[in-house]
Amino acid sequence: MKPRAMDSGRVLTRRQAIAAAAGPYLAAVAPSALASSPPLVSAARCASYGEAVTPVLRKMFEHLGGIGSLVAGKTVAVKINMESPLRERTGFRPAWYSRWTHPDVIRAAVALFAEAGAKRIRILESSCEDDHPLEENFILGGWDPDKILKAAPNVEMENTAGLGYGKRYHRIEVKGKPYIYPGFDVNHSYVECDVMVSMAKLKEHRLLGLALTMENMLGITPVTIYGESAGYEEPALRPYGRRTMFETGYRQPSEPSPKEVDPHSPRDPGYRLPRVIADVLRARPVHLAILDGIETQTASETVTVEPGLGRKIRLVQPGVLIAGLNPVATDAVGAAVMGFDPLADRPKPPFERADSFLRLAEEAGLGPRDLSKIALRGDPLKDLRFSFREQL
Amino acid sequence: MKELIPFRWPKEWTDASYLRWLKGTPINCLVGEHAPPFPLGDYEFVKWDPAQPPAGVTIREGVWPRVLPASKKDAAEAGATGAAWVDSNAGVIRLAQTLEPGKPVWLDYTAPGGNEIVPLDRFARAVAEAQAYGAHWIITLSPAFSVGLAKESQEAAAAWKRIVAALNLFRAHPEWKSYEPVAALAVVSSFEGEAELLSQEFVKLVPRRHLACRIVRTQDLSEDSLKGLKAVVYIDAQPPEGEVRKKLMAFAEGGGLLIAPQGLAGGEPAEVKIGYRIYRAGKGRIAAPPEAWYDPYLLMGEVHQLLSHREDVVRVWNGPDMNSHFVATPSQDRGVVHLIHYGSGLTPPVTLGFQRRYRSARVLTLEGARTIQPFPGGLGEEFPVGEFASYAAVEVMS
Repeated sequence: MKPRAMDSGRVLTRRQAIAAAAGPYLAAVAPSALASSPPLVSAARCASYGEAVTPVLRKMFEHLGGIGSLVAGKTVAVKINMESPLRERTGFRPAWYSRWTHPDVIRAAVALFAEAGAKRIRILESSCEDDHPLEENFILGGWDPDKILKAAPNVEMENTAGLGYGKRYHRIEVKGKPYIYPGFDVNHSYVECDVMVSMAKLKEHRLLGLALTMENMLGITPVTIYGESAGYEEPALRPYGRRTMFETGYRQPSEPSPKEVDPHSPRDPGYRLPRVIADVLRARPVHLAILDGIETQTASETVTVEPGLGRKIRLVQPGVLIAGLNPVATDAVGAAVMGFDPLADRPKPPFERADSFLRLAEEAGLGPRDLSKIALRGDPLKDLRFSFREQL
Repeated sequence: MKELIPFRWPKEWTDASYLRWLKGTPINCLVGEHAPPFPLGDYEFVKWDPAQPPAGVTIREGVWPRVLPASKKDAAEAGATGAAWVDSNAGVIRLAQTLEPGKPVWLDYTAPGGNEIVPLDRFARAVAEAQAYGAHWIITLSPAFSVGLAKESQEAAAAWKRIVAALNLFRAHPEWKSYEPVAALAVVSSFEGEAELLSQEFVKLVPRRHLACRIVRTQDLSEDSLKGLKAVVYIDAQPPEGEVRKKLMAFAEGGGLLIAPQGLAGGEPAEVKIGYRIYRAGKGRIAAPPEAWYDPYLLMGEVHQLLSHREDVVRVWNGPDMNSHFVATPSQDRGVVHLIHYGSGLTPPVTLGFQRRYRSARVLTLEGARTIQPFPGGLGEEFPVGEFASYAAVEVMS
């Protein structure tokens, strides 16, 4: 099949263009939260979606010292969680209530960013199925994207599974010694921004144990380079397939994207995936992490559970929102709210099948997972705890 | 004229006693190379000669409807979509109905043979699929099935009961046949010559995206045939000319989106979207591709994006191996969504959403019927259809 000419926003990026893109952008990005000690995390009760979300989130941002200094006059990139498959649901429940960041949380955050002076707010997610505009994927999921786009001025969306509206891929490099990959090539949106927000669901993960704001960042890697249908000599034109190479290492990313530092390292998915997460976070730091735990599901991040797991997916309502200026600390609080010990490691729950990405991230200098080293604000943790494993 | 429900008389059935399986069923027509050597009573016999198909009937070769089985264990063949490949007869039937309007369409195919064991309960799906699209499969039992019935095996009898249930379900709802496809999009093409492959493959692929369309042959194009639509894709090698061009331009100028090969509009486009140059035309738009179309799957995705999923007349969740075919009265106050599940076992819990509001819905399957109530969704009300095996009809009422 011959390659297609695309419009000016979707010209096929050549390897030279990618290499040349090795970015000056990220040098300017250094989350202030990494320097703050102990990092602030706010957790609060929020019983339902709808209008209830905004006042709770507003108060949580106040707990973090306000977000004005973070977002005023800036371009804010918001990586939401809208994992494929887009047309699948847990039972009859729309995925916003089980696997994906709920649009009401996105909308509330967008409104608050705008209120705090954000210049431009960009909602980002990559689809493993297609290169539809992200707006179309919201509709596929069963939600009107206009409700978010109209929540504030200058709100945009982009599907970052490939080039999207960019002309070339941009390289982001791992700061410090990489675990698996020295860097990644990503959609322009993740470098052409001043502030990076990861907004995820409070949920479990079939392999990692937890799928929180750090795991959400795996989705910034383009499917055209890291997906099952990624090209070999160059990125695929269109995205398709899961990022299995991160788990099994069965192949390397498309040329000319950075290859693994040690192709002889263990191929165990439980070894690899948590380390890839830590690499991604060091290449693309997160300034603000938000966890939507108002409604969610147990046992899996998808619509099925791993064979032999012995558990069923249950739709649950923990009624919690968590936000922090450090993703490791935020995810550690998330783990604690879910009834897990953030200091646990393989093979203790929830890390039965993988090394703790919290521990690896902490060791990589990304932030603390020890609750005693985190400044927790908001409602007391004991009042928010909702044990996911007791839902069996 | 009496509607014939065709059944291929199995060669394993050697005497009139086997007619007992047909008694009381909607089957009224036996098909075979030779008439069975016994009186057939009220059954009509159609001598089968592929070189001389029966008059007044359009015969099309079909495929055994299913998700294509895996060549590797625990996997299914991937199609152009990357998702599992589904063999469906939807496009073949709808094209036949378009190209030979007014004639009943019969599908001719058999269950896979060789070493493949086809579960007998899958035959009901073949019956229901054809009926859902307003056609008939010439019911052709496999040797194992007809021998099983001859021996009164429980499995064969249960599978036969499902076939009869499928036939009875459609017989009980003759109004469904008068309903028209609900769509926001029309595919207009000659469906022949240079356009044949692209246009016909487009029509065959659209059910995989639940992209509903009206199919219009260029020579049948009229103002009426585009009434109520949001978009038209004109699939031909060259832009339309003469009267066809006039009618399509009138559609665009009246507020529609016309997607057509380059040449209908020129100059600077108002915008560029997924590579397409979008020109203003009166109250509507004309979208021209950056280059000649060559891949029906890509074209289908592009058309769906240009139209927007917002215009989907029915939305299906948890239906990856499923076709949806929504037909309704002209006012659309009553309609039915035919859901054909091509996978094995039960579907996951299926949910339907509609662009327009329906007050209530009833799910009819081969096992029974139940009323379902809508619940609020992000884009309007949604209906919890639930799980089913091969086929479900969802009747909706305003």
